Amino acid sequence: MSVADTPGRVRDWLIAGSPVLLALALGVFPLVTLFVESIGPGLGGENYAEVLSPLYRGALLYSIGVGVGVTAVCLAVAYPITYWIAHRCPDRYRLVALVAVTLPLWLNYVVLNYAWVWILARGGVVNRILVGSGVLDSSLDLLYNNVSMGIGFVYIYLPYVVLTMYVSMERLDYRLITAARDLGASDYRVFLDIVLPRTLPGAAAATLIVYARIAGAFATPEILGSPGNIMIARLVVQAFRQYTNYGFAAALSFVFLLLVLGSLALGALSPRVRRELRQW
Amino acid sequence: MHALAVDGLHKSFDGDPAVDDISLTVPQGEFFSLIGPSGCGKTTTLRMLAGLLTPDAGRVMLNGEDVTDRPARERETNTVFQDLVLFPHMTVAENVGYGLARSGVTDPERGQRVDDALALVKLAGFGDRDPADLSGGQRQRVALARALVNDPTVLLLDEPLASLDRTLRDEMQAEFRRIQRDSDTTFLYVTHDQESAMSMSDTVAVMRDGRIVNAGPPRQLYTDPQTQFVASFLGDATLLDGEVTRHAGPDVVVKTDAGPLRADADAASYAVGDTVTVAVRPEAVTLGGGGLTGTVVDIAYKGFYEEAAVDCNGTELVVRRERNTAATPENATSADGGTGVPFRVGETVTLGVDRAILVENERR
Ligand SMILES: Nc1ncnc2c1ncn2[C@@H]1O[C@H](COP(=O)(O)OP(=O)(O)OP(=O)(O)O)[C@@H](O)[C@H]1O
Ligand SMILES: [Mg+2]
Repeated sequence: MSVADTPGRVRDWLIAGSPVLLALALGVFPLVTLFVESIGPGLGGENYAEVLSPLYRGALLYSIGVGVGVTAVCLAVAYPITYWIAHRCPDRYRLVALVAVTLPLWLNYVVLNYAWVWILARGGVVNRILVGSGVLDSSLDLLYNNVSMGIGFVYIYLPYVVLTMYVSMERLDYRLITAARDLGASDYRVFLDIVLPRTLPGAAAATLIVYARIAGAFATPEILGSPGNIMIARLVVQAFRQYTNYGFAAALSFVFLLLVLGSLALGALSPRVRRELRQW
Repeated sequence: MHALAVDGLHKSFDGDPAVDDISLTVPQGEFFSLIGPSGCGKTTTLRMLAGLLTPDAGRVMLNGEDVTDRPARERETNTVFQDLVLFPHMTVAENVGYGLARSGVTDPERGQRVDDALALVKLAGFGDRDPADLSGGQRQRVALARALVNDPTVLLLDEPLASLDRTLRDEMQAEFRRIQRDSDTTFLYVTHDQESAMSMSDTVAVMRDGRIVNAGPPRQLYTDPQTQFVASFLGDATLLDGEVTRHAGPDVVVKTDAGPLRADADAASYAVGDTVTVAVRPEAVTLGGGGLTGTVVDIAYKGFYEEAAVDCNGTELVVRRERNTAATPENATSADGGTGVPFRVGETVTLGVDRAILVENERR
């Protein structure tokens, strides 16, 4: 390589490098601040010790559990939807179908939650229909439990999962499915041997996008969830606002982050997932 | 009993018939080719045989058993697809063993049969490779092995060589024939390449517009095609319309624009004065003698032989002759001696036609 190239290369590196640096700074800087706050004052570990007390431990695990559960439901619903749109729906209706499924993306997050309050409340749409049609004598309590919260979560996050999965599903070569059928595969084996492995990257990307946001969600559990089941976001908000205990809030957030990363790593380490992801 | 028997198969797409009353039978162990121009319904037929497409009408029998209502996975057929569609996320061995695994063959036996199949297609030791790391010809062999290993009653092949270059195609063609004999599997081979079909097959069926117009051994189809379409689809042929002028023993003499031609026919079925169509193959045309005169209008060198298009009264006949490397235009006087002298455009030659073939004319 000649010396004359060098200034040009430096400039190239600067041009390519600065956005990367900016992104890194934006991503890392708040985290560092948070971490410094969490171990203060005076480098003590008290904040972390408190996070691991049973009350908080329970909330952390519950949040992770909700994240895993809702993400799984979203994927289970998104698979048939995206398969149908990508491989069964006539070409000209495809865009319409995609837009219809992802419509909730265009509305405000809080409004979406309250839509479900309106639907599920004692005097809400569902109860009125059930009672009015004589199926039930009196209204049911449909709100403020894990199911209503789950419905709200799936409703809000499904569009992200559908959009991400759709990209993968569209790239799935339908001829592979034909070939598998010809070789004797049942529908179940076609899904397991062809559809799942060929779309796993999409499922993984969708999980990355929604899982942590669900586990750390604030509004949906507040609006639709049971008051007794506390998710992590409420505790963090409380620590910030009510007790102005920033150090503790930061420590809580950090442990949560580690748990999220840890559970994602656990998923990615499963040999089957690893093998399929390596292909891409 | 026939390995495959098809009776009255129909399929329309949006009211347009793609397959229109196909019936055929294939004995066990035969190499059967279905050929025809693009869009004539070959793939549609094959997909119905495989169970990947439901026919509108007709029956499909495998080894005497009616399988018309069975889906692909319950049929003893396997397909080699035109674009191969190997599973990219599986190794070569996993690809080949996939059908066995689905029919419940477990591992010591499965591994053994996969190895045998790979050896049969000359890919022993390639089991651990990814399909993406193979050459085009090797991928072709994997696709063949993947279908063949299941020991299907009929192996269906949809233009499996179309994507290969000519050298590789010729090589694979010979391989296919060898493998078909070695494995004693019934092959139903679909192609629009008449040359390869003729060289590989025991029986050829020519399709046109969703129907089989002529079927038989390649030699018979070539020398005695039933229709003018079959005559010109299988090799070169000049088609001439004419009128029967007299009977000559078992033959008839047909008056055409180019001159009178003798055609062997079942003379009784033609009367003097009938309007007929005859096909003339280049090999049947001889230089010199004969009763036809014409002018050379075009010459083509084809390696060991030379071909000339000769205009006889407005009809072009093609005549071939082996090249004589010693002869040059300089020392030649005329091509009209049959001595291997090169043709020259514009020269006048006399031709004889040994044998014209009476064919049905679909256009009429
Ligand atoms: N799924 C389909 N929907 C509508 N029309 C179809 C479909 N499949 C095939 N056709 C039509 O049926 C006819 C026969 O098609 P087919 O694919 O069987 O032809 P082919 O003989 O295999 O041709 P090629 O040599 O080009 O592969 C064509 O006119 C085609 O357009
Ligand atoms: Mg085809």
